[in-house]
Formats: sequence, C-alpha cells, structure tokens
Amino acid sequence: MNNSVTVLLRCLIVLSLMLIKPAWAVQVITNPDVPVSGVSQNALRAMFAMKLLQWPDGRPVRVFVLPDDNPLHRAFCKEKLELYPYQLRQTWDRLVYSGTGQAPTEVDSETEMLSRVARTPGAIGYVRNSRLNDAVRVLTVE
Amino acid sequence: MKISPFPLLLLACMTSAVQAADALPDGVQLHGFASQSVIGTDHNNFFGNTQNSVSLGFTELGANISWRINPSVQVSAQALSRRAGNTDNGALRIDYATLDLTAYADETSRYGVYLGKIKNPYGLYNETRDVAFARPSILLPQSIYFDRLRNFALSSPGVGLYAQHNSAFGDLSLQVSAVKPDAGNDESESAFLGRPRAGSIDSKTSYVGRALLERDNGRFKLALTGLQVNANYQPTIGDPLLAGKIGFTSWVISAQYNAENWVLTSEYARGRINDRGFGPFFLNGVRTGSSYYIQGTYMLSPKWSLLNRYDVSYADNSDKSGTGFQSITGLPAYSRFAKDWTAGVTYNASRNWQLRGELHHVDGTFWLPYGDNTHPANTTQNWNMWLLQAAYRF
Repeated sequence: MNNSVTVLLRCLIVLSLMLIKPAWAVQVITNPDVPVSGVSQNALRAMFAMKLLQWPDGRPVRVFVLPDDNPLHRAFCKEKLELYPYQLRQTWDRLVYSGTGQAPTEVDSETEMLSRVARTPGAIGYVRNSRLNDAVRVLTVE
Repeated sequence: MKISPFPLLLLACMTSAVQAADALPDGVQLHGFASQSVIGTDHNNFFGNTQNSVSLGFTELGANISWRINPSVQVSAQALSRRAGNTDNGALRIDYATLDLTAYADETSRYGVYLGKIKNPYGLYNETRDVAFARPSILLPQSIYFDRLRNFALSSPGVGLYAQHNSAFGDLSLQVSAVKPDAGNDESESAFLGRPRAGSIDSKTSYVGRALLERDNGRFKLALTGLQVNANYQPTIGDPLLAGKIGFTSWVISAQYNAENWVLTSEYARGRINDRGFGPFFLNGVRTGSSYYIQGTYMLSPKWSLLNRYDVSYADNSDKSGTGFQSITGLPAYSRFAKDWTAGVTYNASRNWQLRGELHHVDGTFWLPYGDNTHPANTTQNWNMWLLQAAYRF
C-alpha cells in the first residue's frame, strides 16, 4: 500500500516536472556597429513598438522579430518587454494601416535572425542564450 | 450588379506585391488587406438586401506603400475600395497620402507633423476601422463608429501635429488636426439633414484632437477625443431648404484594459448637432445625442477568441424614446435610438487569414443605413442580424 502511494507520487512529480516549461533565457542582440551596449527597458519597448527609430548617434534602428506565435517571440515579449504579443501586433497594425509608421521585419527562424542582425547596420533582435555567436553583440537591458 | 474593374486591379496588384515584398528596397514596405462578408437579417436591410435573404454586399480591399526615407521622414499612401450595400459602391479612392515629418525625437519624446490626406484620430479604432484584423468584430460598435458618418470621419486633407512622451508614469500621445472633411455624400446628408438632399453640404475647416494615455506597459489605455465640424448647406434652385449652417461637436472618452487573455473596452460619446437657418421646412435647432458601448473579448487560445458587447445610441437626449420626434415628423420613434447586443467568435487561421462570425440583436433603427432602407415606415423596431467574414492581410 505504502509502496504504491510512493510510486504514484513519484510518477506525479515526474509528470509535473515534464509539464513545467523550460525558461527561454532570451538575449537581446544588435549588429556590432550599434554604438551602445545597454538600454533602458522603456527604450527597448519603444524600439520594438517602432516608436523609437534611431540610435543615439542618429543611425536608423532596424527591428527584427519572429512570428507572433513563435514560443521564443512570446517569451521575449513577456520577459524583456513585459508586453503581451497581441499588444505589439495591435501597435504595428495601427502604424502600418494608418500611414504613421512601419512594421518590423519578420524572420522565420533564429538562424535567419542571427544572420540578418549580423549583416544589417543598426539591427536589433533576439535569440536564445545558447545560440549567441561572435557576429552579433548582446545588448543589456537595465 | 455592376462590378468596377478597379478593385480587381487592386487585388491583382496586391497578389504581385506579396511576391515582390521580399525584393523591396531598404525602408520600403507594402501591406494590404481584403475581406468579404455574408450578411443576413430577419427584418430591415443592412449593407444590401439582407431581409430574409443573404447579401454579399460588404467587401473591403486596401493596399498601402510606405517609405521610411530616414528616421525623421516617412511618406505613405493607401488605396481603398469598399462595397457596403447602397452606402458605398466600391469605387477606388485614396484613403491617405501622408508625409510624416518628425521635428524632434529622443529616447523619451517625439514631436512632428502629418501633412496631406491624413487619418483622423477618433476614439480607439477610427484610423484602422476598415482593416478586419485591427477591429474586435466584423462591425465596429455603431454607437461610436457610426458607419453613416464613416466617409466623413475617416480621413481628410489637412495638417496634424503630434507629440509623444514616454515616462515612468506612462506613455502620452497627443494629436491635433485641422482638416476639411468630405461631407458631400448621401449618408452624411442623411445623418445631418434627415435624408439625402437636393443641395450639397460643403464643409469648412474642422478640428479633431485626441489625447491618449497608456499606463502599465499599455495594459490600461485612457483617451479623450474632441471633434468640431463646421459645414454650410448649398441649396439648389427650388430647394425647400435654405442655405443653412451645420455645427457638430463631439466628445469621446475611451478606456481599455488589456490582460493576458481578455480585453475590456468601453467608449462613451456625446455629440451636439446645431442646424440653423434651414428655413420653415426643416427642424432647426440644437440637439444633443449620446452613445456608449461596453465590450469584452476573451482569448481562448492564440487562435480562438469570443466577443460580447452591449451598444447603445440615442439621437436626442431630451427625447430618448423618440416619441416627441414621431409626433412632429410622423417618422418612427424607434429610428431615434438603437440598443444592440452582439456576440461574436474569431478564428485566426494563420498569420494572414482570419474567419469571424457574429450575431446582433437590435432594438431600434437609429444607425440603420438610409441607402438600404429608403422607406423608414417599412422598417421594424426589433431585428436580428448575422454576419460571417473571411479576411486576409499581408
């Protein structure tokens, strides 16, 4: 009796551990030519909302994102911007269909994100910590 | 049914634009949208002959191009074709053609000017009211986004000043525009003068402004809109109406709360129409109308969401039941108010495709389009409407 309860409990613990989502450990990345190494969360949010359009030296900001339903995009919105993905989509739709702004460039994968950010001057994007390489720079968010 | 070739041309351009979008020069973007609805009613007509029938009379098509020349200058233009029963014939028009000049920008502020044909800031949804994906439902709440005044309110030639400021307290955006709205259409004439008239309405310089405060990363939004429209009526020879003047003032308060899985939205408007100098064959005078809605959206999953809304409009606050109006004009009392219960479901099939279904149970005919119901005596007070819509965007 005691044994079967223990087995059952163990099964439940293993099952619940399997259900816990892994933390994404998202890093914000920029093209190496970007003149800053850190930004405030407000500034980061304004860049991804396509409202802050230039770096402090006047260079245009080029924003890259993954599709709305991509788990990494959802994690980035929540962890780094503290926004829900649908809020960003509403903001971009308003800009795009009222003639008052533009949408960010959407890429299909982290691999494409890394290569586009690495070769586009002024680019900003995000990848998982484990995917970082030397062609991009990490931007710290205060 | 006469089909204009322009929407088809627009659709063809859109299709090739989707393929070309990847090859565009730096800073240039192309976007577009299309929707087709199916509408049926048990009484009255809405966007076509819908009474105990089915209408395909509601179609929206649009495509835009924008060029961000540098962080301070953007040019954008959007072409639009809209069929909506007898109120809109699908003719291609320029929705906006805007030059956006930023005079100053830093990490927390941005100030600038919009020039050209610009979108009017009005409430939460006006600027993107023709884009199915940017609306919560197939039809926007008619209390605030009265489709009869749509062409009039949507966009106008003019100048708009804007200011944005981000702080720890919240993000504040202001826009004030001086514009010359388009009032020369049958639905605007019906809204201001009871029905289409022989003469024409010629608008003068009008003003619209909105202050929007977003708190807590945009979770809470609060907006105040003010609108002042001035217009003159130009009678024709033998017109029973004299050269009158119309003044229309409207205030809208908007509030929205965005949670992870649900959104609660409410807007309240108060509009004052001042018709004067139209002579003895018209009900001159001042009347104040009011309207509001409360709307809840619940996102079951990223693909499915549900909507529920209660939407109320009164043409005249001092005669909400319309009985006073009926005794003077002989027209139905219920044409002076509308109370609409709406339930809707949205399925986001993919990034580009969306399907919607919607039911309306309406008491009153205040916002029923005149063009689809030219004999007010033949309308019915209590009526039901269903709509289905498929929408595409890129």
